[in-house]
Amino acid sequence: MPELEQQLTALGSALDWPPTPAIHLPAMRGGRAPLAAPGWGGPVSYVPRWALAAAAAIVIAAAGLLAFPPSREALANWVNVHTIFHQVPHLATPSPHPPGPLGQRLGLGGLTTLPDAEKRISWHIAVPSTLGRPDEVYLQPAPDAPAQGEVTLVYATRPDIPVAGQTGVSVLVTEARGTVDQNFFGKMIGPGTTLEAVTVAGHQGYWISGPLNEFFFTDADGNFRNETVRLAANTLILDYGGTVIRIEGNLTKSQALELAASLI
Amino acid sequence: MEGRPEEDSELFARAQRGETAAYEEIVRRYQQLAFRTAYMITGSAAEAEDAAQDGFVKAFRALDRFRPGAPPRPWILRIVANEARNRVRSTQRRLGLELRLAEGFRPGDAAPSPEAASVAAEDRARLLALVNALGEEDRLVIASRYFLELSGEETAAALGIPEGTVKSRLSRALARLREKYEVAPHA
Repeated sequence: MPELEQQLTALGSALDWPPTPAIHLPAMRGGRAPLAAPGWGGPVSYVPRWALAAAAAIVIAAAGLLAFPPSREALANWVNVHTIFHQVPHLATPSPHPPGPLGQRLGLGGLTTLPDAEKRISWHIAVPSTLGRPDEVYLQPAPDAPAQGEVTLVYATRPDIPVAGQTGVSVLVTEARGTVDQNFFGKMIGPGTTLEAVTVAGHQGYWISGPLNEFFFTDADGNFRNETVRLAANTLILDYGGTVIRIEGNLTKSQALELAASLI
Repeated sequence: MEGRPEEDSELFARAQRGETAAYEEIVRRYQQLAFRTAYMITGSAAEAEDAAQDGFVKAFRALDRFRPGAPPRPWILRIVANEARNRVRSTQRRLGLELRLAEGFRPGDAAPSPEAASVAAEDRARLLALVNALGEEDRLVIASRYFLELSGEETAAALGIPEGTVKSRLSRALARLREKYEVAPHA
């Protein structure tokens, strides 16, 4: 190891890190007990620090306002304690989308849940942890889908990711067992669309900027599959240890790579 | 099993079968690394504590999605680091991370090693000041690899970037650090 790297490694053992707090798990999965960790006085329910600070600020502000008579009057007006109730006409929120789950309009298969989908397929569904829980999960079984089925995770609006067209969807993550064949890329990519090979956590991937014509791959039984791309947006395709993962959305390349790197 | 620490893979397998005690052991094993990783990203001990806390809860809920046989450290680090980054994004602010030397540290106090013994106190202080003065990307990749001693895969997971980018980013960061270090030796 060169000298500078040696010195950095040595420096690491001399650093003054803040003391590590004990981690507590709230009761979950059928009432599991909180973790009793060393240094903490027994099981406690965890409340985030920001929530405690916000609660304290609200209590202090309310106490201050109530101590001042004009403020009491103003507060009373805000909360309508004079028993004057205003009827607010309930207007339907206009929506460009027809009613019903977002994914059903995209023909993704049957609406299901993540745990149920995992029970019905033999492989692990990778979920991008940066997006949180998917808003909808769909399972399309074979033969309408590739061998061993196809799972699609639907994410409605997400911060910093524009919704694609009129779909109401920000990101679609589609997963099926199989392999990506680079020989098909010529057919998939039209004018104005670019292809770039990328690597995400050791997995080979392809970043396609611009809409795809179609998507081709070989499924787990070796069958050639021709799939319709649902969102006319950018696409990241990953060969994820035998699962082909397609991430579609109006994502930048760095957003797509970050999202792929968060797959768990 | 008696007399030797249980392998991570065994612990995860037990936790996936619903054994809370196994997950508690995972948390104990990784809480320091997770907290320090989150601290490195947020620059705040309080935010890091919340990120580690929430990260372990999310990992617990996602246990059934952990692939048996996969290395657990990158998996845990990815979840906790994502929480830390989300906190930085949501607060729209980032506290500058100022790593400090432990007071009165002498090589050999905690983890005796030839490397530690070879670095004089003033050299350490000067090198740390140079690391602290680096840009955020450079500082994070150096801190991950050398201060937290994460592997390339773990660094990629912690920083949310591909492993190939870790290599190139680290190489550039070391080059910039080396340049500064050699320009003003023993200033």
